[in-house]
Amino acid sequence: MTGPLLELDRVTKRFGRVVIAEDLSLAVGPGQVVGIVGPNGAGKTSLFGLISGDLAPGAGEIRFAGRTVTRLDAAARCKLGVGRTYQVPRPFGDMTVFENLLIAAQQGGGLRRRASYAAAVEALDRTGISGQANVPAERLGLLQRKRLELARALATQPTLLLLDEVAGGLTDPEVAQLVEIVRDVNAAGTAVIWIEHVVRALTPVVSRLICLAGGKFVGDGDPATVLAEPAVREVFLGTEVTAALAGGSLEAGSEVKGDGAVGGERSNP
Amino acid sequence: MSLVSETTARPAAGFRVARSRRNVAWTGAAALIVVVVLAFFPYIVYSGTTTIVVQAFIVLTMASMWNLLAGYAGLVSVGQQAFVGLGAYFVLILALHGISPFAVLPVAAIGCGVVALPLWWLVSRLRSGYFAIATWVLAATIMLIIEKFSSIGGGTGMPLPGLAGLSPALLTAYTYWAGLAVTVVALAAVYLLLRGRLGLVLTAIRDDEVAARSSGARVGLARLLVFVVAGAGCGAAGALLAISQLQVQPGAVFSVQWTAEMAFVTIIGGLGTIEGPILGTAVYMVLQQTLASYNAWYLIILGLVAIAVALFARRGLWGLVDEHLHVRLFPVGYWLRRDGERPRGLRRPAKPREQRPG
Ligand SMILES: Nc1ncnc2c1ncn2[C@@H]1O[C@H](COP(=O)(O)OP(=O)(O)OP(=O)(O)O)[C@@H](O)[C@H]1O
Ligand SMILES: Nc1ncnc2c1ncn2[C@@H]1O[C@H](COP(=O)(O)OP(=O)(O)OP(=O)(O)O)[C@@H](O)[C@H]1O
Ligand SMILES: [Mg+2]
Ligand SMILES: [Mg+2]
Repeated sequence: MTGPLLELDRVTKRFGRVVIAEDLSLAVGPGQVVGIVGPNGAGKTSLFGLISGDLAPGAGEIRFAGRTVTRLDAAARCKLGVGRTYQVPRPFGDMTVFENLLIAAQQGGGLRRRASYAAAVEALDRTGISGQANVPAERLGLLQRKRLELARALATQPTLLLLDEVAGGLTDPEVAQLVEIVRDVNAAGTAVIWIEHVVRALTPVVSRLICLAGGKFVGDGDPATVLAEPAVREVFLGTEVTAALAGGSLEAGSEVKGDGAVGGERSNP
Repeated sequence: MSLVSETTARPAAGFRVARSRRNVAWTGAAALIVVVVLAFFPYIVYSGTTTIVVQAFIVLTMASMWNLLAGYAGLVSVGQQAFVGLGAYFVLILALHGISPFAVLPVAAIGCGVVALPLWWLVSRLRSGYFAIATWVLAATIMLIIEKFSSIGGGTGMPLPGLAGLSPALLTAYTYWAGLAVTVVALAAVYLLLRGRLGLVLTAIRDDEVAARSSGARVGLARLLVFVVAGAGCGAAGALLAISQLQVQPGAVFSVQWTAEMAFVTIIGGLGTIEGPILGTAVYMVLQQTLASYNAWYLIILGLVAIAVALFARRGLWGLVDEHLHVRLFPVGYWLRRDGERPRGLRRPAKPREQRPG
């Protein structure tokens, strides 16, 4: 494919006086891995909503895989190849984990029965929830729910994977494993946009880092450069990144903010 | 607990998918026996009994449709009597043209399914309370329109022609068999629908509509399908009603009481399960037959039953059965078995290891 996989063209979105996106433009190429950081309530999750079709932009155009998708709903965009996870997991509680993945493979991935079984099993294995395959999703704990989110997004066979804070609350070895999964997925050609407060999860995989604040991108480019930019540092002023920057341990493993997965999430989806 | 299990390297082969945890051959056999026994009822019981069973068939068919709407598609319709009435009038109108009411039954069902399409166009943009009210208004409007036609009885209705040639015993038996056929077809349709791809979609929509959409589920299309099927099913029930009562009165066939019955039966039996409406219908018919002579008390007791179920059995009576006996008469799930696993692992509740969100 020539040209970008995803294009946001002067997109604007507001919730009342809260500005989510102000004349925002963005292009993500096929196979690219992009990290997004930004303060709480900056509109990162809402940006995913605009891309996945959960939210309609107030102005502007969104293109995916060469098509204008601004007017397409989430289901249509998913079928085109946009797979997303939710920051606060949204499992289908009455269905088993395996069934959660099956519907994603059949509807989003457009796979026929036999192929959908295989895709669901693959997603189970990849994310390490094979042991819970036949467990109703409502019985899963938070970390397993997050894995299910990832597995379900993968089962839709995406060409663009949207990860919304999937690393929060994980231990270091678990983060490393997650990074491996993302690398794996990306190696197969899938582009990834990854929102994360845990910067140490992003730095090993992303080739590009974007900082969103006040409806604008205040930084966009090479991760180390972006994190060192004064504008980005200003956004995070008073949080740990300042200390981390002062200590010079940026890439090594600093968190932009100290909140874990549970504390940092809005509990109402 | 690791994110990547040891199985990652293994190719995704070596698994089997069963549609039920246990062997369900006996359930199928039992269902067949029940249907066969029911088919012989006209030979072994009084006609009074078959008449009551026909009522049960009508209620069960309607409730199964309402369950599909409210329990799966999230469409709480208060206007399903529109299709009951239309089904009855399909029978009446075609009978007036000399076609046997029994032959019209399938036509009435298909006709109501077709009518459901434009009606869906009218109500599909509304949600929850607005949808409920809109369907109700729609049903009332359809009744008012039909009452305008004096050739089909106007506001008072008229008796159903075309069945006078049959002896009473034969008519009762034919009506009964027609009712049995409608019910079996309706339940089979619901089962097959939920067992197929659409079943997963509907369950997902019920659990989380937003996530269902972003997993690729065409929510609107699924709802449209369910609305059409439910229209057809309620139409068949209405046609059966016309045949069993031998007359069609607009006020009776378009009564909101039908939807109230569907909702009551479904909710006490268990919303969102195929078995729920069956159990609910059984309970409802028993209550009705034992208490109907007590008029006011009958309604009070129905109300108390509804309250008791709401308080002590949130998932209906079938929910209680399922909780304690772990049985499924109509298995629609998917059960994954990996090679080298114990074949019949019991589905034990996995204790949540981490705290839940929210
Ligand atoms: N549906 C909505 N209606 C009104 N306001 C909303 C809605 N969704 C989000 N908001 C507001 O928009 C702002 C951005 O929310 P969003 O969840 O996109 O931020 P975020 O960057 O993902 O934050 P976090 O880091 O906490 O996840 C917040 O102030 C939020 O309260
Ligand atoms: N007159 C009609 N006849 C048949 N189908 C119709 C009619 N009008 C609308 N529909 C269908 O009804 C459904 C509801 O439409 P609508 O777009 O409001 O719902 P939706 O929930 O956004 O659906 P989707 O998820 O498919 O976008 C759509 O699938 C549409 O194709
Ligand atoms: Mg967020
Ligand atoms: Mg739509």
